[in-house]
Amino acid sequence: MRLSPQQFWRVRENEYRIFVTVCGSCGRSAVFKRSACPYCGSSDVRYVESSGTGVLESFTKVYYRRDSSEDDLPKFVGVVRLSEGVRVVGEIVGVRGDELREGMEVEAVLRRYASDDPYGVIYYGIKFKPV
Amino acid sequence: MRAYVVGGAALKIDRHFELGYRDLAYRVVKDCPECSEVDYVIVSSALPELSAHQVDLGTHVVQWIGRRVPVLRVESGESSGLAAVDVAASLVASGRAGRVLVLGVEKVTEYPTYTTNYFYSLTLDFEFEVLRGVSPPAYAALAMKELMSSGVKRECFSGWAVRMHENAMRTPHAMLKFKISPESFRDAQALAEPLTLYDSFAFGDGAAAVVVSSEPSRSDSSPEIVYSGSEVGLPAYLRDRVSDLAASVGLLRRVSEKLGLDLRKAAVELHDSYTVYPVAILKSLGYLDERCDLGEFEHLNLSGGLKARGHPVGATGVYQVYELFKLMTDGLGDRTASAEYGLAHSMSGPDNLSRVVVLKR
Repeated sequence: MRLSPQQFWRVRENEYRIFVTVCGSCGRSAVFKRSACPYCGSSDVRYVESSGTGVLESFTKVYYRRDSSEDDLPKFVGVVRLSEGVRVVGEIVGVRGDELREGMEVEAVLRRYASDDPYGVIYYGIKFKPV
Repeated sequence: MRAYVVGGAALKIDRHFELGYRDLAYRVVKDCPECSEVDYVIVSSALPELSAHQVDLGTHVVQWIGRRVPVLRVESGESSGLAAVDVAASLVASGRAGRVLVLGVEKVTEYPTYTTNYFYSLTLDFEFEVLRGVSPPAYAALAMKELMSSGVKRECFSGWAVRMHENAMRTPHAMLKFKISPESFRDAQALAEPLTLYDSFAFGDGAAAVVVSSEPSRSDSSPEIVYSGSEVGLPAYLRDRVSDLAASVGLLRRVSEKLGLDLRKAAVELHDSYTVYPVAILKSLGYLDERCDLGEFEHLNLSGGLKARGHPVGATGVYQVYELFKLMTDGLGDRTASAEYGLAHSMSGPDNLSRVVVLKR
């Protein structure tokens, strides 16, 4: 499965860093740099860069196999509540299953997402690991 | 102008390795006498660009089946089928067309399952979810954990699956026509803990057709499409709880109130890609207590649902409407439903989008 380098370059801010969109109209916040507030649709938004730390709220051990992934299965996917108060979903790495706990502090790390093929472009992005 | 469902047909959902998109479409239309004289065709399909390298599938299907009428292809992820019926009803109600063939067709077996799993995962946001390793069963597992932590027992989800397999036994076109037991979950393959393969829908190729007309059939038993609509939800990661399926719950509640429709009395086809979703919806609507007793529902997913009838992604909604039509007229297999209303519900992703179509006798 070939990914588009152009597409990946375009979304680099949301894949290499974590931003929070804060709405000037309704006051709510949502993860990722967005053009409009997902709650009220307002374009009156500003961006805050996340510290990348947060708390693991929930997780699951995933065995589901699919293409375009470098995953060694099983892997862990979790919901993280960032220190800025918003939630984000992603992979939890660098941990054995019996070490994971809901409520555990985690931090963002840059890890491999996928590659086109053994000789192709390698794509990196944000995952989380325990602090 | 009003819109009625006046006929249709459905192929058995299966691994049709010998049939492509065009062949499936041809076969289902061949089995459908009402499909012959139409002035518009809507083709519903979610994956042809990915699984068959085919753009503009609608045109190629209509050419293949030998029609020279306007055609439009509708894609709205897993809810494509109901979206297609929605468009057909609008064309008829507005007078743009008098008789529309809605043709749902999908191939999911052109590649190994892990490749189709990738295609199916693209119902989620590619940049914000899929690239990050998130998949539909991961969300279903997180939703299941939430419900279990609020007191819903594991047996509630396995009970749904057992019931769907029993229902599918009597549905002629169902894919999984065999029974499973609650005990079988103990050895079922895990997809994403605590979700297992037995909590998941079945992938199958399929094609189904319904004809939407401005005139009821001569027998005057044609159910009328009295509602078709949709609601967009928040991405699952922005909700306080993944299991909060607010778009589906809100839409079902509003439609029920508007029409005076009691889901317990109606013929209902709920989207059950994973067993956790119908349980979450029925619990939020106040129909499920801790015993998870579904006994009050007279005609709930009689087809076997996505779980056991099968889920040919972009065609599934057309199957649902065809099944309701048959239940409300001359029978789906050996079963009929005396219900005044038939309601089909579909989601794309974990309630990213919810659709409902309602038929009235």
